[in-house]
Amino acid sequence: MTFTLFLDLLAAGLITGGIYAIVAIGLNLQYGLMRVMNIAHGEFLMLGAFATYVMHTTFALDPLMTLPLSMAALFVIGLAVHRLVLHRLVHSSPDSDVFEGRSLIASFGLMFVVQNLALAIWGADLRGYPYLADPVEAAGVILPGNRLLVFAVVVVLSGVLMAVLRYSLVGKAIRAMMQAPLGAQLVGIDTRRLHPWCFAAGIALAGAAGALLSMVYEISPSMGQPYTITALIVITLGGYGSIFGSLVAGLLLGLVETFGTHFTSPSLKMVLSYAAFIGVLMFRPQGLFSR
Amino acid sequence: MIRRFVGGLAAALALACAAPASAQEAPVKIGYAIARTGPFAAGAQVSQEPNYLLWAEQVNAKGGLLVNGKRRPVELIGYDDRSDTETVVRTYEKLMNQDKVDLILPPWGTGQTFAVATLANRLGYPLIAPTATSRKLTDMKLPYVFTILQQPDQMMNALADMLVAKGVKTVAVLHIDDLFGLENVDALSKALAAHQIRVIEKKSYPLGVKDLSAVLKAVKEKNPDAFLGITYPPDTILVSKQSREIGFNPKVFYAAVGTAFPLYKQQLAGASEGVMGMGSWNVKTTAAAGEYFSAHVAKFQKEPDRWASAHAYASLQVLEQAVERVGLDRGRIRQAIAEGEFQTILGPMRFKDGMSTGVPGTVSQWQGGEFEVVWPKARATAAAIFPKPAW
Repeated sequence: MTFTLFLDLLAAGLITGGIYAIVAIGLNLQYGLMRVMNIAHGEFLMLGAFATYVMHTTFALDPLMTLPLSMAALFVIGLAVHRLVLHRLVHSSPDSDVFEGRSLIASFGLMFVVQNLALAIWGADLRGYPYLADPVEAAGVILPGNRLLVFAVVVVLSGVLMAVLRYSLVGKAIRAMMQAPLGAQLVGIDTRRLHPWCFAAGIALAGAAGALLSMVYEISPSMGQPYTITALIVITLGGYGSIFGSLVAGLLLGLVETFGTHFTSPSLKMVLSYAAFIGVLMFRPQGLFSR
Repeated sequence: MIRRFVGGLAAALALACAAPASAQEAPVKIGYAIARTGPFAAGAQVSQEPNYLLWAEQVNAKGGLLVNGKRRPVELIGYDDRSDTETVVRTYEKLMNQDKVDLILPPWGTGQTFAVATLANRLGYPLIAPTATSRKLTDMKLPYVFTILQQPDQMMNALADMLVAKGVKTVAVLHIDDLFGLENVDALSKALAAHQIRVIEKKSYPLGVKDLSAVLKAVKEKNPDAFLGITYPPDTILVSKQSREIGFNPKVFYAAVGTAFPLYKQQLAGASEGVMGMGSWNVKTTAAAGEYFSAHVAKFQKEPDRWASAHAYASLQVLEQAVERVGLDRGRIRQAIAEGEFQTILGPMRFKDGMSTGVPGTVSQWQGGEFEVVWPKARATAAAIFPKPAW
C-alpha cells in the first residue's frame, strides 16, 4: 500500500464517517440525553435536505448560507412536534422507561406522517442539484469540494455543541436535567422550557445533516430511514449522551468501511460495519464513551 | 397524496362535466399497485405511473377505450404498494378476485413483476411488464405475461458489439450485487468472452452505497479502455460524479439504469457529454415519440426518461389496440397480444415467446443535452462519440 493510497482511504473514510457522525449527534441529543426514541429522526433530516433544495433551486441561494435557515426552520418544527406529541407523553408517563417506549410508538407514527407529507408536496422523484463538484487536490490526494466542506461543517458543529454542553450554563442545566430531573427543578432550572428546546436542537441538527447531505447526494422523501438506523448504531457504539463518543464512533465506522471494502469488496460493507459494532460492544457494552 | 387527490378530484369533475355523452357506458376498470412510497418509488414515479395517468387521460379525452365498437371511459384503480412485495401480491389478489377489475397493469421493477406474474397468469389476466428485465422471468414462459423492455442479454450483446466495433480491448466492470446486476454481468461476460475482450477488474457493491471512490481509484490504476457500470439510479450518478472527481477518463464510460433520467444530465452539470448507458429512444425515434414527449412534459412538467418510460407508454398502446381488436375477453386479448402487431411510439411492436421483438438491444449516449441512441446503426439517432471527451 502506497502512502498516497493510504491518505486517499483515510480522507474518504473520515468524510464518510463525518456524515455518519452529524446524523447521529442529533439523535444522541434526543435519545442519549432525553430518552426520546425518535424513529422519525431521518424524516427530519429529509426535511432539512428538501428545505435546502427548495431554497437553492427556487431562490438560487447558496446551500451553505441557507444552513442556519434550515436549522432554524427545523428548530421551530421541533418545538411544534414537542408541543403536539411529546409534551403529553412526558406528563402522562410514570417513569422514563415507559416514556421511552411511548416516544418510540409516537415517533413511528410521526415517521409516516412526515414522509407522506413530503411525498404529497414533492412527489417520490429523486432530486438534486450540483454543488461544489470540482475536486480539490492536496498531496496527491484528490477530494471533492462538497465532501470536504461537509466534513469541515461537521467538525465545527460538533465542536460547538460539545463546548456548549460542557462549559455553558445552559449546557450544565441540560446535563443536570438529564441526571436528576427533580433535583434540577429544585435548584431552579426551568425544565418545562429546557426539555422542548433540547429536543428541538436535536431536530435542528437532523436538519443540518440533511442540508449537508443534499450537497453530496440525491434526495427523495424516502431517504431518511436508512440514516435513522445508521444513527442508532453510531450512538450505541459511541455511548448514549456522549457527543464526543458519537463523533468518534461515526469516524470509526467510516474508516472501517473504507479500508475494509478496499481490501475486500464493497458488497461486504454491512458485514464489516456490524462486525466492528459487535466487536466493540462485546468489550464495552455501554459504548465507547458512556458517562 | 394531497396533490394526487386534488388531481383526481379535478379529473373526476372534468369527467362529470363530460359525462352526458357516455353516461350510459360503464367504465373499464383497470387496476394496479405501484410504489408511491419506499425505495422503489423513485423509479416507479419516473418511469411508470406517470405514463398510466397520461394514457388514461388521453384515452378519456378521446371519449374512452373502444370496446366492441363503443367508447367506454377508463377508470384507473391504483394503490400504493409501499415497495413491499407482500402488499403487491395482496393488492393484485384483491383487484382480480374481489374487485373483478377488467384489466390490470403491472407494478414497478423486476422483483415486483415476478411476484404478480404467476398470479396474473393463473387468473388469466394479461400483463405487459415495462420495467422487468430478467431472463428468469421470461424463461418461465407464462402465457399471460409479456415483457416489453429489452432483456439483459439483448442489452449486453448490443453493448459488446459496440465495444468491438470501437476496438475496445480491456474493460472494468462494477455491478450491483442483486439479481439485476448478476444477470447483466453474466450476460455481459458471455458476450465479451465471445469477442476476446478482457475483463481486467470486476467488483460488486450493495444497494444504497454512499461512496465508491476507493474502488474507482483502483479501477483507474488499471487503466481499462472501457468502464462498464451495471448500476441503479442513485449509484449511477454516484459513480459518474466520483469518476469525474478523481479524473478517471476511460474511452467508454457506461452506467446502466438512470443514465437515461433527465436528473442525470442535471446532476452532472454539463459533464454528462459522452456518457453511455441504457436508453432506447428519444424524440427523434418516431414522430409519435416526439408527441408523447411533449404531452408528458405538458402534463407533469418533467421530461420522461429515455428508456423505460416510452416502453411503459407503448405497453398501454399495445393493450389499447388489443382491446379494440377483440374486446374485453382476457383470453382473446392475450392471444391478440401474442400474435398481433401494434403501432407504438417505439415503432411497430410484436411479441415472440412473451418478449417484445420490436426494439433490439440498444446503447445510448449523452450528446449536447440529448440521450442519443448510438447503437445498433438501425436504431441510432446519432453517431457515437468515441473516445468519450474528458469529464
